[in-house]
Amino acid sequence: MKIEYYLPANILTNADLEKQYENWSAAKIEDKIGIRERHLAANDETALDMALKAATMVLDGSDRQLVDFILFCTQSPDYYLPTSACILQDKLGLSTHIGALDMNLGCSGFIYGLAMAKSLILSGVASNVLLCTAETYSKYLHQNDHANRSIFGDGAAAVIIDKDDVSRIYEFDLGTDGRGMGNLIVPVGGARRRAGGLKEPLQEDPSRCLFMNGPEIFNFTISTVPLLYSRILQKNGLKIDDIDYVIFHQANKYMLEYLRRKVNIPKEKFHNDILHYGNTVSSTIPIALKDCMSTGIIKKGQKILLVGFGVGYSWGATVIEI
Amino acid sequence: MNKSEFIRGLKDILECEDIDLNEETNLKELACYDSLAVMSVIAFLDEHCGKNLSAAQLSAVTTVRDLMNLADICR
Repeated sequence: MKIEYYLPANILTNADLEKQYENWSAAKIEDKIGIRERHLAANDETALDMALKAATMVLDGSDRQLVDFILFCTQSPDYYLPTSACILQDKLGLSTHIGALDMNLGCSGFIYGLAMAKSLILSGVASNVLLCTAETYSKYLHQNDHANRSIFGDGAAAVIIDKDDVSRIYEFDLGTDGRGMGNLIVPVGGARRRAGGLKEPLQEDPSRCLFMNGPEIFNFTISTVPLLYSRILQKNGLKIDDIDYVIFHQANKYMLEYLRRKVNIPKEKFHNDILHYGNTVSSTIPIALKDCMSTGIIKKGQKILLVGFGVGYSWGATVIEI
Repeated sequence: MNKSEFIRGLKDILECEDIDLNEETNLKELACYDSLAVMSVIAFLDEHCGKNLSAAQLSAVTTVRDLMNLADICR
């Protein structure tokens, strides 16, 4: 499975945040949340632009005409219509005889992307799937929202999945609970509450910005993820001893460490690193995978357990063999 | 977990070294009781008291005693 990622050039550091917000400590952000800096898309740089860069890197050296399906996971599309994946097809110079689809998911997006890719390939609909994840949550944040501006970073990842990769993607466990919809939401701009007539710019009007109910999200995570973790092992007939490495969606260091202890995963098998990226939503897992493969933390043939969870609420898990 | 263990544990997670934390302490008036502290409180109650409090229940908490009442299995 070939993976590449792209991070935008602008960097917002904890020191920058400390200067902007009274009583917000850079040391505390790094110590508790585990983030020192996060990359932010430029004003004129969209999720699609970033996905294009990641996809170009992942297709380098390959015959891009072999790609016969694009899955683009984003909650920051260029337009309501047309589909951003269609635009990607054109910008990448891919064949017009391919499928292209946007997926509106956040932190569970990469897992769902793998599930969709596996399904498309096993059903014979596709043979080589380009899965892109890309997000610019920074553009949804209010300028005074120090908490979320500390947490979220922008970024994109691209993965090529073929028949050979699919033979090494195990069973999935997916879940959804729409009762959590209000706990991580951009309430204005869609069909439910249109933005027309409201003042610009978006980031000065809190009612139009991203809202996250941190305590409820944390509650959801600590009640859902341990059960998901147990189920995915059971579904695949595996125990933690059979797993070489575990990558949960990289939300924040404190939450991840709490989950690790709660389900008893050995520290050396558990990924917990968003120091230089922040929470890049659907890209946290592929970025972690790429980093771990590049540094040799995970090696060919190893079994990696992946768990994504968040906005929706939506969650999913699977096991892959690298 | 008894009352003094609860208060001791709470003091640790809130990282308020110079505060004399007791049942009457108004948590909302503490500078250290921020969004990160609330996350720690949720984890503390989950791990030590088996309690999963909603955001609404937590936002109704003012004093340490309010928190202890919500975690009533820790009496």
